[in-house]
Amino acid sequence: MLQRALPLAAVLVCSWNAAAAAQVISIRTVPISQSHQFDLFPSRSLAMGGVTIAVDDSLSDPFSNPAKGFRLAVSRFFGAPGVYRVSQGAGAGRTLPVGALFRSGPWFGAGALALQQVDLSEPMALALQVPISCRACLDQATVLPTTQGSNGNTFAHAMVGRPVSPGFSIGGSLSWSGLHGVDGVDLLYAGSSRLVQRGHALDVRLGLHKQWTDDRALSALVLHDRYASTHDVYYLDSFWDPGSQQFDQRSRLEENLDHTNTWGLHLQYTQALRAPGWRVGVTATTNLASHPKIPNYEIQNIPRDPGNSEAFNLGVGLARTVDASTVAIDLVYEPIWSHTWADAAGPVETALGTTIPAGGKTIENRFRFSNAILRMGLSQDIELDRSTKAMSLQLGLSVHRIDYSLAQRNHVTATSRQLDEDWVEWSPTWGVSFRFPAWEVRYRGSATNGTGRPGVFSGNFATVDAAPRNILVAPSGPISFGNVRVMTHQVSISFPFR
Amino acid sequence: MRIRFLLVLGLGGGLGCDATNVPPEPTPPSLDTQLRASLGGWGVVPIGPMPAQNPAQVALGRALFFDRILSGNRDVSCGTCHDVAAALADGRSLALGTGATGSGAGRVLGQGRQFTPRGTPSLLNSGIGFDQVFWDARLSGRGGAFTHDPAVALPVGLPNILAAQAHLPVLDRREMRGNPGDLDVFGHPNELAGFGQGQSAEVWNAVMSRLLAIQEYVAMFSAAFPGTSAPRFDQAARALAAFQMEAFTRTGSPFDRYLDRDDNALTAQQKRGGLLFFGTARCATCHNGPFLGGTSFANVGAPQVGPGTGAQAPLDLGLGALQTGEFQRFAFRVAPLRNVELTAPYFHSGAYPTLEAVVTHYNDVPLALSTYDPSQLAPDVRNQYHGEPATVAAVLATLDGRLRQPLGLTPAQVGDLVAFLRGLTDPTARNLRSLAPAQVPSGLPVR
Repeated sequence: MLQRALPLAAVLVCSWNAAAAAQVISIRTVPISQSHQFDLFPSRSLAMGGVTIAVDDSLSDPFSNPAKGFRLAVSRFFGAPGVYRVSQGAGAGRTLPVGALFRSGPWFGAGALALQQVDLSEPMALALQVPISCRACLDQATVLPTTQGSNGNTFAHAMVGRPVSPGFSIGGSLSWSGLHGVDGVDLLYAGSSRLVQRGHALDVRLGLHKQWTDDRALSALVLHDRYASTHDVYYLDSFWDPGSQQFDQRSRLEENLDHTNTWGLHLQYTQALRAPGWRVGVTATTNLASHPKIPNYEIQNIPRDPGNSEAFNLGVGLARTVDASTVAIDLVYEPIWSHTWADAAGPVETALGTTIPAGGKTIENRFRFSNAILRMGLSQDIELDRSTKAMSLQLGLSVHRIDYSLAQRNHVTATSRQLDEDWVEWSPTWGVSFRFPAWEVRYRGSATNGTGRPGVFSGNFATVDAAPRNILVAPSGPISFGNVRVMTHQVSISFPFR
Repeated sequence: MRIRFLLVLGLGGGLGCDATNVPPEPTPPSLDTQLRASLGGWGVVPIGPMPAQNPAQVALGRALFFDRILSGNRDVSCGTCHDVAAALADGRSLALGTGATGSGAGRVLGQGRQFTPRGTPSLLNSGIGFDQVFWDARLSGRGGAFTHDPAVALPVGLPNILAAQAHLPVLDRREMRGNPGDLDVFGHPNELAGFGQGQSAEVWNAVMSRLLAIQEYVAMFSAAFPGTSAPRFDQAARALAAFQMEAFTRTGSPFDRYLDRDDNALTAQQKRGGLLFFGTARCATCHNGPFLGGTSFANVGAPQVGPGTGAQAPLDLGLGALQTGEFQRFAFRVAPLRNVELTAPYFHSGAYPTLEAVVTHYNDVPLALSTYDPSQLAPDVRNQYHGEPATVAAVLATLDGRLRQPLGLTPAQVGDLVAFLRGLTDPTARNLRSLAPAQVPSGLPVR
C-alpha cells in the first residue's frame, strides 16, 4: 500500500449553504465544475444570484452567522430536499435535510440533520462494469472493494445564541460532516478501478451581531474549519506473469490524505442610505488555511506534501427595495496567495550538483490569484389574495472570474516556469416561493456553466487527465475538460410549531 | 423597474458571454508524465516475480548446466558459452563450441574447428516467457506446441520453450556434439558424434546413459522426478529449464522499479533517454512489449561476420534461410534489452563492442554499414567480416523500412539513450559467479 500526500491544497467547501460557503473561500486552479453538494439549507438569496452583502436572508443567515438567529420570531420546522445533476452523466446527488429553528425566551437556536447520496460519475461507473481479469487479485492482500454506484454522507448542525444587550447578540454553531462521497473526486483519479472515500469535516463558528436602531448593522464571525479525508484509490495494473507466461492484473492501493485547516474572520457592515429603499453593505473576509496533506490527483505526478494559503474577500453590495421588489448587486474582489511545495523523501541530487536533504523542498509553487465575483438578483413579492399570504419570484445571476499566475521552481532540475490561467463561470438562478399562513414552500434552481469535468467526452473534445474539485493544482500537462453544466433544484418547506 | 431589471440581466449576460474561455496553452508536462504516457503506448508493463521452481529439479538442472558430460568430447558445458562471468553469454562475436580452449573472450578456436555462425545469446531472463529462441527463431511456440527443425523429433508435452531448447545444443556438432572420429578429453571415442543426422533420440539416450552411470545423478533424477524408473532426457531438459527460470531471472533494474511507480528509480538523463527510446528515436517500434524486444524480427543492417549458414554461406541470412520471402533476408530476432549493458558485443554477429557504437549504428544505418570498421571486432574474428560492396548492398536491399532514414540524434541524445539502456541492468546480474557449483557429479572441471 502506497501512502501519498500530493500536490496542491484541497479546500473543501463544507459549509452547509452558499452564504456560509462565502466565508470559507474556495481556491481552484483548474476549471473543474463544482456541484452544489453542500448547499443544504433553504435560502432566499441563492435564488437571487447569491447576493448576500446588502440583502438579509432570514432563512440562511443564522446558519452562516449564528448570532443572526436573533431575528427568529417563531420556532419552525423545515425540510429542504434537493437534487443536483452534472450533465453528460458526470455526477448527481440527492440530499434530504431536516431541521428546526427555535426561539425560547431570549435564546434561539437550530438543529439539523441531513442525509445525502452522491452518485459516481458515469465514466467511473462504466469502469466498474467492465469485466476485470484479475485472477491474482483473490490471492493478494489488497482486495478490491465491492462496487458501489453511490456513496452516502451524513451532516449534523447545531446552533445556539442569545441577545446579550439590546441590539447585540452572540451565537455559536457546530457543524459536523461524515463524508464518504465528495462529488467529482472519483474523476480525479484517472485510471483507477475503485475509490473509497472516508473523512469528516468540522466547522465551528462564533458570531457577533450588532443592530442599531437606524438600521445599521455590524456582524463579525470567527470560524475554524477542519477537513480530513482519506482516499483509498485502487488500481488494477497489468503485468507480465512469468509463471503463467501471460498478461495478468494485480491490484494496488494508494492511500491519499487530504487535510486542510482553516481559520477565518468575516466582517460585514450594512446601512440604509438616505434615499429611501437603498441599502449598502461592505464585507471583508480573511481565510488562513494550512494544508498538511494534499491528495495526489492524477493531474499532477509530482509529489507535494504541505502548503498554506491566505485568501481574502473584499466586497461591496447595493440593494434597493421598492414596494414589493428588491434588486441587489454584489461586487467582490478576491485576492489569494498560496504556497505549496514538495518535501524530499530522501536525499536528492540536484542538477547543480548540490544535495537536497530529506525533508527539504524539491519543488515550490507560488500562486497569486486576482479573482472577481459579480452577483445580481431580483425578487418580486406578489400578494395573491386574503387566504394566501404572498408569492415571491426570484431571478439572479452569479459570475465568477478566476485569474491566477503560478510561479514554480524545481530545485532538483534548477528550472522555473510561469503559468497564467483564467476562466469565467456563470450561473443563472431562479426561484419561486409561496407563503401561507401555516406554512411556506420555496423552490430554487440554478445552472452553473463555464466549467468542466475530467473524463467527460464532449463531441470531439476528448478530455485527458483529471482535475480536482476545489484544489490547488500546478497543472503539469494540458488542461482539457468536457464542458458540463450543473443543474441544481431544491424545494424547501417550513412551518411554525409554536 | 422593468427597464432596470432588463438592464441588470443584460449586463449580467454580457459578462457571461465569454464564459467558455479555454485556458491558454499550458507548459509542457513533466518528464515522468511524458515517459509514463509513452510507455503505455508500447505495451511495456512490469514483470512479476518468477514463481519458485521445484528445488530438486533446480539442483539437478544446475549440475547439468555446468557439467561437461553433456558434450560429446566432455569438454564443454552449457556454462562454457553461457558463462557466469560474462552475463551468461561469452563476450565474443562468434561462439566457440567443442574443441576450443579457454573461456569467455579469451577462448581459442580448436584445431580444425570452425566458429559457430553467430554470437552466444545471453540466458538472462530466458525463462520469463519468450515464445522464440535463437537468433533465427528456429524454435518457437509455447504451451507444449513448438515449431522447430522437422528433422528433430522433440518429445511431446514439454512444459516450456526452455525445456524444448535444451534438447538442441547437444545435437549440434559445432556447439556440443563434436564430429565423427573425435576423442573426448580422456582420449576415448566420442560416441555421441557417431550418430547420424536425424538420430536425435539416440543422441539423447546416449547422453542419459552417461548420466545414469553416475550414482549421484541417479539420486538427483530420483529426487527431481519421483516414481520414474527410467529417467529420460526430456526430464534432464525440464531440470535445466527449472534451473534457468529460478537462477537466471533478473528483472530488478532501475527501469523495472520505475515501472513499479518509483519515480526516483531513473535519473533525469535516463528519463530523457527513455523518451527518445519510446519516441523520436523509434527504438520501441521493435523493442517493445514487456520484454523490450524478443518477439519480432528485423533486418537492422548488422554487419556480416562469421562463416555463415546453409547454402548462402559465408553469408548469414538469418530468418531468411528458414523462410521464403525476400523481406526476411538478413532478418534476425530482435533482442530483448534487459541487462543489455552486460552482454556486449552486440547484434547476432557481435559486430559492435559498445552501446554507444550500437546507437551510432542506428542513427544512420546505411552509412554505418557502408563505413563499418572491422577493427571493432576481436582480432581472431576480423577475417570473418564480409564487407564487400555486393554484400553490403544485399543487406541494405532488405533493410527494415523503419531504419532507412537517419534519426538525426545529437551526441547528447546518444548519451541519453545509452544512459537509459544502462538503466535496464539488474544490479544482481552483474556478478553471477556464485551460480556455478564448485564441482559437478561427473568430476569434470566446472570452469
